[in-house]
Amino acid sequence: MKETVISEAELRPASRADHRDLSGVDRAIRVPVLIFFGSAVFWLVIGSLFYLLSSSQLFSPDVWWTFPGVAWLSFGRAYPAFLNCYVYGWATCAGIGTGIWLLSRFNGVTFRSPLFPSVAAVLWNIGMLTGVLSILSGATTGRELLEFPPQSAFILFFGLIMVSLWALVILWNRTPGSTYISQWYLLGAFLWFAWMYATAYLVLDIVPAPGAAQPAVNWWYAGSLVDLWFTPIALATAYYLIPQIVRRPIYSDKLALLGFWGLALFGGWTGMTHLIGGPLPAWMITASIVAKVLMLVPVLAAAANFHLTMKGDFSGLSENFALRFVVTGAFIYTAYAFEGSILSARSIAQFTQFTLVPESNSQLGLFGFYSMILFGALYYIVPRLLNRLWLFHKLIETHFWLAVTGLWLSFAALTIGGLIQGFGLEDPQIPMIAVNDLLEPFLAIQNFAALLLVVANLSFAISFALILLISAPVRHRRTAVERFKEASESTEPEVSVA
Amino acid sequence: MNRLTGLFFGIFLLFGVSWLGLVAYPYLTFAGLRQSKDEATGALAPQGMPGTAAQGARVYAANGCFYCHSQYIREEKEGNDIGRQWGTRRTVARDYMYDQNVFLGTSRLGADLTNVGVRQTDPQWFYRILYSPRSLSSEVAMPAYKWLFQTREIQGQPSVDALKLEGAYVPPSGYEVVPTAEGKALVAYLLSLKKNYPLPEAPEATE
Ligand code: HEC
Repeated sequence: MKETVISEAELRPASRADHRDLSGVDRAIRVPVLIFFGSAVFWLVIGSLFYLLSSSQLFSPDVWWTFPGVAWLSFGRAYPAFLNCYVYGWATCAGIGTGIWLLSRFNGVTFRSPLFPSVAAVLWNIGMLTGVLSILSGATTGRELLEFPPQSAFILFFGLIMVSLWALVILWNRTPGSTYISQWYLLGAFLWFAWMYATAYLVLDIVPAPGAAQPAVNWWYAGSLVDLWFTPIALATAYYLIPQIVRRPIYSDKLALLGFWGLALFGGWTGMTHLIGGPLPAWMITASIVAKVLMLVPVLAAAANFHLTMKGDFSGLSENFALRFVVTGAFIYTAYAFEGSILSARSIAQFTQFTLVPESNSQLGLFGFYSMILFGALYYIVPRLLNRLWLFHKLIETHFWLAVTGLWLSFAALTIGGLIQGFGLEDPQIPMIAVNDLLEPFLAIQNFAALLLVVANLSFAISFALILLISAPVRHRRTAVERFKEASESTEPEVSVA
Repeated sequence: MNRLTGLFFGIFLLFGVSWLGLVAYPYLTFAGLRQSKDEATGALAPQGMPGTAAQGARVYAANGCFYCHSQYIREEKEGNDIGRQWGTRRTVARDYMYDQNVFLGTSRLGADLTNVGVRQTDPQWFYRILYSPRSLSSEVAMPAYKWLFQTREIQGQPSVDALKLEGAYVPPSGYEVVPTAEGKALVAYLLSLKKNYPLPEAPEATE
């Protein structure tokens, strides 16, 4: 390697445990992490297309380009295809790749052979492919977020177990010494995800749960998936990248720990808020509402910590793409959690449940909070793995601004439309058809917002393909080297917890 | 090592509590549910689903009807479902004890279907909506489920199931539109959606 894009100091993790050269670690895990990232981007593109399709179908179900009359592309299949591509394809693959990269970095060790994790990645993609095809062909379980038939789920689970074991091995072989909060989140995430996924399929398919226990388990799973898989992955990433990029240690270890245990304590309880008024014992639903409100404790802990770490110095946001995405995601996290706990109150759910409003909240979480942070992570990690630079900054700018605009536009349309829908549904004088008519303009705006989001995702995918295929011309590199040098001259952060 | 072991246990214990509460508890409790016997008539409720209806439930899942239609009635103080005449009482766990697949749903772009079999008893009504939802209103977002039907040449007598269509939906003369086996199963399922028997734990709403 003649010309390193990233200066050595920049390569060091924020943890005290390591002051040795880590480019070796990057080299060792390059292949499996890149396979996971590549899969993530692939499923992001496929998922985006289904997202645009299903959004268009709600707005104009009979126009030829929404494929009316084609069973396997109809709304009831395109929508779950979008959801699963996004959740298990993009979000999960990106999360696994980032998680493994972080763990290897912290620990200065990694799995010797890239074969094992690469096999896991291949299995994951086989599971995804068969799962999505099953949904399209109508062979679904009929449960939200668990649509994949058990056969596909089994393959996915096998891949997941391999990945989780891999994570455990890395963590167990770490150099003795302090651990950093991100490691805690990642350990939790990998264990929780394997557990909840196994439980969901065991209880729902292998020893089928009786009647009303099915939705209870289904939503226990969905709530946990968001709060104990996606959230800890995103937080682990933010807790690493923010101090790393602004070159300051995390503000408070105690807050970070509070956030972790708060999440662990309440995260598994939040799911029943989707079933308010449902055929379950009232205490189960109340417990979820309480958990949803208490979740604000870890949320505020993280928000305060990030903000105080930044010290109100947001100047880096304009130059550093990764930071910009991560900080935006962290902001949206707070907004998302606040809205979520407000929506879970019974008196409010009376109007918002069953409407487009909860959908707007989920999008805020998935597209805003989680995806923005993970986009930031990929923008940060991929150049380091390849020792290359992102080619066209215009593409990244496009990605960022379209994603933010699309997100808020979609949020506004779904929220306002959903509220109108909600008040309409509550008033029996207004016929269902009339409520539907009122929604029309909002579905149109949402459809446009979906288009923006999809173009944003595509520009990201193009950037990603370019960096994989082409190494940046040297002239570009020089300036980048200089810029990075400047950044690394400030003090080395010292961050560790416990 | 100690610290990591402690963390490990913490991670398992805390999540385990939610597992006990939201997975194990409903599993065990709802497995113990039994039919209820009406004091006056001696009738048992709920009844299981007839075979074709159970097949229809698979069609319902395959086509993702539950992304737009819910199947539960909330108590009056939690929402105005009863006011909308979607049911006369809230639904409870016992209502779903025989369902292989419970489609509670979380969206009401379309109407709640808990009691759609009480509201409508004519298969033709369902066929028409599934074949041409826009005949309800031009803004209805429901997909037209054309693949649950086939247009075929009339041979001899027109079939009894043939759809009575109007306007632009009428097939060319000499042809008829009939539901496929899947379409029939789905409608059998929809017709079976009736939770109008009394249950002691869910008294009828009093005006
Ligand atoms: C994209 C969302 C969507 C999907 C998917 C969908 N529907 Fe609908 N459905 C609607 C809307 C909107 C209406 C019209 C409003 C109304 O009257 O409920 C409707 C109306 C109905 C009605 C009339 C309800 C009544 O009481 O008036 C029935 C029955 C129905 N749908 C059945 C189905 C079935 C069966 C499926 C699956 C094969 C399905 N729908 C899929 C949105 C949807």
